[in-house]
Amino acid sequence: MTDYVMEAKHVFKTYRIKGEKKGDVKVVDAVKDVSLQIRKGDIKLIFGPSGSGKSTFLRCMAMLDIPDSGEIWLGDECLTKPGVDLNKARARIGFVFQHIYLFKHLTAIGNVELALRQVLKMPKEDARKRAMAALEEVKVTDCINKYPAQLSGGQAQRVGIARAIARQPDIILLDEPTSALDPELTGEVIDTLRDLAHEGTTMLIVSHEMPFAQEVAEEMIFYDEGHIIETGPPSLFFNAPNTDRAKQFMTRIINRTTR
Amino acid sequence: MTYWLTDPRTWTWILQGLSATVAITLFGVCLGLLLGTLLAIGDLYGGKVSKGIISVYVEFFRGSPLFVQVFIAVYAVPALFNIRIDHNFLAFLVFGLNSAGYQKGYVKGAMQTVLDDQMTAGLSVGMSKWQTLRHVILPQAYRIVIPAWTNEFCSLTKSSSVLAYVGISFFASGISDLTSVGIAVSYQQFVILPVWIVIGLIYLAWITGFSKIMDTIYEKKKIPGIDLEIQS
Amino acid sequence: MFDWNHLIFLLEGVPLTLSISLISFLVGIAIGLPLAFTRVYEKEISFVVDIYEKVFRGIPEIVLMLLFFFGLGPFFPTPFNNAFFVVCFVLGLRSAANQSQIYRGAIRGIGDEQMIAGTSVGLSKWRSIWHIMVPQVFTFSTAGLGSEYALLIKDSAYVYVLALLDVTRRADQLRFSTGDYTWYIIAAIIYIALTFPIAFSLDKWGNRRKKKIGL
Repeated sequence: MTDYVMEAKHVFKTYRIKGEKKGDVKVVDAVKDVSLQIRKGDIKLIFGPSGSGKSTFLRCMAMLDIPDSGEIWLGDECLTKPGVDLNKARARIGFVFQHIYLFKHLTAIGNVELALRQVLKMPKEDARKRAMAALEEVKVTDCINKYPAQLSGGQAQRVGIARAIARQPDIILLDEPTSALDPELTGEVIDTLRDLAHEGTTMLIVSHEMPFAQEVAEEMIFYDEGHIIETGPPSLFFNAPNTDRAKQFMTRIINRTTR
Repeated sequence: MTYWLTDPRTWTWILQGLSATVAITLFGVCLGLLLGTLLAIGDLYGGKVSKGIISVYVEFFRGSPLFVQVFIAVYAVPALFNIRIDHNFLAFLVFGLNSAGYQKGYVKGAMQTVLDDQMTAGLSVGMSKWQTLRHVILPQAYRIVIPAWTNEFCSLTKSSSVLAYVGISFFASGISDLTSVGIAVSYQQFVILPVWIVIGLIYLAWITGFSKIMDTIYEKKKIPGIDLEIQS
Repeated sequence: MFDWNHLIFLLEGVPLTLSISLISFLVGIAIGLPLAFTRVYEKEISFVVDIYEKVFRGIPEIVLMLLFFFGLGPFFPTPFNNAFFVVCFVLGLRSAANQSQIYRGAIRGIGDEQMIAGTSVGLSKWRSIWHIMVPQVFTFSTAGLGSEYALLIKDSAYVYVLALLDVTRRADQLRFSTGDYTWYIIAAIIYIALTFPIAFSLDKWGNRRKKKIGL
């Protein structure tokens, strides 16, 4: 019986981007020998320069991208073994996307209900109750019958979070949940995440939001060029990081946010 | 000169012809949509062999005239395979097969407009690829494809006029479609121009009317945020 | 059983098929291009163009051909008794309706700025259209035009109803004289051989030009 909710062991992921000319292929090493353990109730935040591969790593954790090598464990189950039912596994993981990706043809409540009915096979009544509860938690109860195109960015992302938590998953993975939103709208999403954190939800977040990190994260992980460079509590990074790269990055960030 | 217009036999023929045209066209576009969806999914998710077969299928039905395809279906196929099949059934079938050749492209295009993001979202909540296709991708794709489907309907209705020349008849009177009515009346009654004007107007009314209905349905069924991306 | 003379007889229909489609296509450009620009830039008359397009979308080509040939032929024998003329006339006008839509899409894609740039250097509206928009419109339209041309090659088969000996009619004749139905299949293959390369190369030419002008 493992202690960890999720664990990544020596994960590698490279991908190829086709260039403009024929035969031009750019090889990107997004994840180079990354290992990470997450216990129940942990709130960890991955941060670092853009393009460093953080999102790719997060998607590998959820098996939305398949790692080239290494192991991903969800509790006692190794997801990277062949023959594993990935759909069942993903049902136990909640994922929140940078670009939200709500189901455009369904209303807000429809978005939350869909997986409850099709994956958990809940009957209509129960699914609706559970969906309403999730939407109440993210405080989006006044527009449940609206379509995604009619919602503001902040409302849509909160519905996205409701969609992720409705199945009561073991862990929630969030990929830059506020990066695509207008600055005024990030507040509502951050409030929601703060509430979830206080309730003891296990979360692994990729984010730039430094104030949020300082307040809510228990552990911060600095990620650059495919590697985990340094880990530690927020106080470490905001006062005196150990590595030069982390120091450089934090200086730049802090200069930008304190004006 | 308007005697033919008041002759009840003329109107019987017109009703027969119009119903045949409507039946075979609607059957054709509906079968075309179903089969086209299967072909689109096969093209997106199938292996090399399926993709190859689908290309050949599409190239055949899109590359040759429906006129020739009806001849092949009604005459060549039974002869080649040495079986007796009802000619009328074959005619209906070939309209569906032809339409599927075109609709595969429309459905595939509609699916690809939503595919990547929505498939990722569907997988992320624990649904399988097929569940996501069924509950997320296709519902959106079908809304996007309505204008192209309506266009295909217009196209197929116009092409259905070849039935008058293939030696098929759906009724004891020998009528196969609306165009054959024009031919029959002009032979029997020795009026030509007015007959074709009337036939033309009936086609025009049917096609324009049906398109208008489909456009209204599209407006009603439209979900804000799902629209065909305007291609330049 | 397989007689080469029969195949040659069938292939002799190809020039007719090609000439019908080529002439119809050119008529389509000659009428469709002005139609498209009129619809976009002269809003008052655009409803006339709208009606024109609706008529050709709503009446089968065969019906129009029979109408002109058998209906108007007796009254205006000079053009309308000629089956070749009637086919090209009907298909040409139909193609103009289709091409007008294609060009309108291209015009919208190119956007207003080009026209504004043209008029800002002193060109009149219609001269801007001719010198600036038209060349760009063709580059943008290659995909649509490729499929329109393929459509014309297939629709040339309608000339069957006017008893001209194109590929389809010849296949039919061969069926009567030899009792062999496979000639229809060979006819289909001939059509495919005609439509495939044209659509393919127009697509490639279009993509190359688009890259050249930086799209």
